[in-house]
Amino acid sequence: MQETGYRRFKIESKPAPHAYPIPNKFDVSARKVRLAGMLLHEAFEYKFKKEVVLSRPCIYGVFGGRFGGFKPIKQKCVGCMRCVQEYPHIMRVKPSDEYKRLGDSFWTPEMVYTIWNEAATGKIPVKGMGYKGAFGGEGFDGIWTDMSEIVRPTRDGVYGREYISTSVDIGRKPVHVNFEKLDHTPTTLEVPVPIILDELPAGTESDDVSIAVDRAAEQVGTLRVTGKGDHSQANLPIVDEKQIGEYKQTPRILEFDAQEQGLLDKLLSDFGSTILIGRLPLKEDTSSMVSELVHRGVHGVHLYADYHGWDYSKEPRHISAALKDTHQQLVREGVRDQITIIASGGITLAEHVPKAIICGADLVGIDTTVPVALQSEFHGETQNRENCGLKPRKIDPAWGTQRLVNLMSVWHDQLIEILSAMGMRDVRRLRGDIGRSMMDSELREQSFKGIAWAA
Amino acid sequence: MGSLELIVEKHTERIHHGLEVLPTLKHGLPAGLGNKRWTGELILATYEQALTGELPMNGLEYKTGNSGGGFDVLGWKSHDGVAKVDEDQVDLSISLNKRGEGKKIEIPLPIYGGGMSFGSISLNFMIARARAAKKLETYTSTGEGGYPDQIVPYRDHVITQVATGMFGVREETIQYAPIVEFKYAQGAKPGLGGHLLADKVTSEVAKMRESSMFTSLYSPFPFHSVYSVEDHKKHVDWIKTVNPRALISVKVSTPTDVDMVAIGSYYAGANIIHIDGGYGGTGAAPEIAKKNIAMPVEYAIPKVHEYLVSEGVRDKITLIASGGIRTADDVAKAIALGADGCVVATAEAVAVGCTHCGNCERGRGCQVGITTTDPELSQFIDPAWGEKRIVNLFNAWSKRLRIILAEFGLASVRELRGRKDLLVRYK
Ligand code: SF4
Ligand code: SF4
Repeated sequence: MQETGYRRFKIESKPAPHAYPIPNKFDVSARKVRLAGMLLHEAFEYKFKKEVVLSRPCIYGVFGGRFGGFKPIKQKCVGCMRCVQEYPHIMRVKPSDEYKRLGDSFWTPEMVYTIWNEAATGKIPVKGMGYKGAFGGEGFDGIWTDMSEIVRPTRDGVYGREYISTSVDIGRKPVHVNFEKLDHTPTTLEVPVPIILDELPAGTESDDVSIAVDRAAEQVGTLRVTGKGDHSQANLPIVDEKQIGEYKQTPRILEFDAQEQGLLDKLLSDFGSTILIGRLPLKEDTSSMVSELVHRGVHGVHLYADYHGWDYSKEPRHISAALKDTHQQLVREGVRDQITIIASGGITLAEHVPKAIICGADLVGIDTTVPVALQSEFHGETQNRENCGLKPRKIDPAWGTQRLVNLMSVWHDQLIEILSAMGMRDVRRLRGDIGRSMMDSELREQSFKGIAWAA
Repeated sequence: MGSLELIVEKHTERIHHGLEVLPTLKHGLPAGLGNKRWTGELILATYEQALTGELPMNGLEYKTGNSGGGFDVLGWKSHDGVAKVDEDQVDLSISLNKRGEGKKIEIPLPIYGGGMSFGSISLNFMIARARAAKKLETYTSTGEGGYPDQIVPYRDHVITQVATGMFGVREETIQYAPIVEFKYAQGAKPGLGGHLLADKVTSEVAKMRESSMFTSLYSPFPFHSVYSVEDHKKHVDWIKTVNPRALISVKVSTPTDVDMVAIGSYYAGANIIHIDGGYGGTGAAPEIAKKNIAMPVEYAIPKVHEYLVSEGVRDKITLIASGGIRTADDVAKAIALGADGCVVATAEAVAVGCTHCGNCERGRGCQVGITTTDPELSQFIDPAWGEKRIVNLFNAWSKRLRIILAEFGLASVRELRGRKDLLVRYK
């Protein structure tokens, strides 16, 4: 039966616990002789009342095992520090070495943990008692999004009453309709979230991972970019000149290397109704290259930085700066609305999605986050696209699918948090709206103007 | 004494003992304590000040954190050659009503307590804060969770907060209040409203908030009756009708147009504009909101101050800053950036043993009885003990404020306002 009526977009999450044990965040240990002495002392002090003597300082059950504090159940520790407060001469709690070793120079242990937990639970990370991290920073960390004191829509958008759209269109939008050539009107493809799964980093794709990524993209209704010639519904294949002939039917959407001379023209002539997205590394001349592609008829561009979010300029810029540059150039030329910009590289946390969109992307592609969510192991730096230090582990594709669906679900929810705080009903309105963001570097100069530098 | 009482007594004594011993560093600096904003040293220094009422003497860092920005990269200019004033003569009082009309209220130190609601914090901690406010002759705020009977005896020092959920807002709670605070937004979850998890909605909390037990409570965002400054003015009129004596405070977050919001609030009749930056505390908030939405208060203060000056109304409204004020130095820096004074909440929690661990919403709530409604855990904070520690903390802060002012030759904290020239920036 044909589905009719209104359906609120929601990505259903389900628990998908870690398949491989994760490092304990905290290392808890007791000085055993002192612990024994304390127990003896308390036994006399509390007249051998067992429930009082054995009442532990930990409400999380770390000392709830058979050997109590002599063998703490470290994985239960949440670092509340009450045991240290109560027994400073006995207890030691510190971030574990395994935890501190997680990630690389870009992926902090906190980021890895965040992605793992989002993929496992599908729930927005919530904590009490205020922010605990660094003040502002570089790249996306140096951008704050705006909020509105009094406008709708509201947080109710998340919980029920008002709808906030996160859909975006991929493809070329005509500036006017040519009634003579209605059959040549380019199509667009709508995805319900401004996030696609970019080509997996080299060396992280096993068959099972590939199945999981495919199914997750399909379940969410988005796309996965792949260099493989497989034409499933969710795929956004990357083609080279040789592969063009292999297509028996006209594909609905393709990515191609926009640096390859003549490829766009060939694709335009062979696949008139296909949405054509040119892949380009972000560097100094990207703006002019994109501008030229627009004039030659491209429908969209996929601009990528390295996996740490730095572009390929001689003096690398963060993807946020590089995107702004290209977006604003196209705005100046009056062609920005005609094409779609997909951005990827270094977009690894939920907050990076709205920030990349504010900087000018229509939507983003995520890359290293996918293997991280699937518990791939870090073996060195992840920056390099040709040699990314993530090694996949064996996974069950159903588990992998759920992990990625959870991730998309929780990123979608967080995007709605950001949009609702700004009073925006549609993510499309956020694109390039730099006025709804605040830059650390600019605010610092404005607000600290007149304050001398320390000698 | 039954076992349960003994257990509570045992842990209470142990926690109190730990809060005394840890700042001595006899057992070293606990490696797992603290974070970039509230470093382990800052937490221990706060314990020490709450214990003694004095500034730490053993080298513990008590002035700044390690966040790499904001207050943490600001310091004080050299005061060589400046004629010092006598510390004891320095006046720390500020006025909370600078308008020509209405009750004149002054507080003897440029600090009052921020809203922390019944339900998100334990009743004992709430009473401790109210008692401390009375002792210090300043104020504390109910937060949005209603007005428990147990704090009525301190009502001359309690600000009634009217937030979007209107929980526990009743005619008498407005009439009790010397100051009524409209919470339009909160820095830690700007634009998102409040959320009290189901586990914390015990029968008392549900009764107070006129809701159902163990059901999550959301306060909407924004006020569904306010979509303009004119609507806000109607809100002010409503409060003034119920309680003509009350001063009006407007608590807002820090969007790009925070300066416009401030001037709008002034023209709608506010006595206090209270700007709450994103790095402050809360019972629970999405991490994405705390880190990413709205600007830190360090940037918002000069923006608002300078705009109010340019509009010619700066001396008719009190500008209060909150959201990440951890130390006396933060208070002084906020004032030098342009605020009249500060609202503080997290530091009060640290005074009674908070480790800034962030587990407030996990399981039974706070393990040391601060952000919990668990009947056993709540007992760790005896209101009289909590009162003493909060009073001590602010006494120590007052000493530090006097030192800063005296060294610059300033006889009153009011002279520090907007004196950015006394600050220096570190790279
Ligand atoms: S730090 Fe807290 S959670 Fe960890 S063992 Fe100690 S009391 Fe338990
Ligand atoms: S749970 Fe942790 S952060 Fe929350 S109030 Fe208690 S000690 Fe502080």
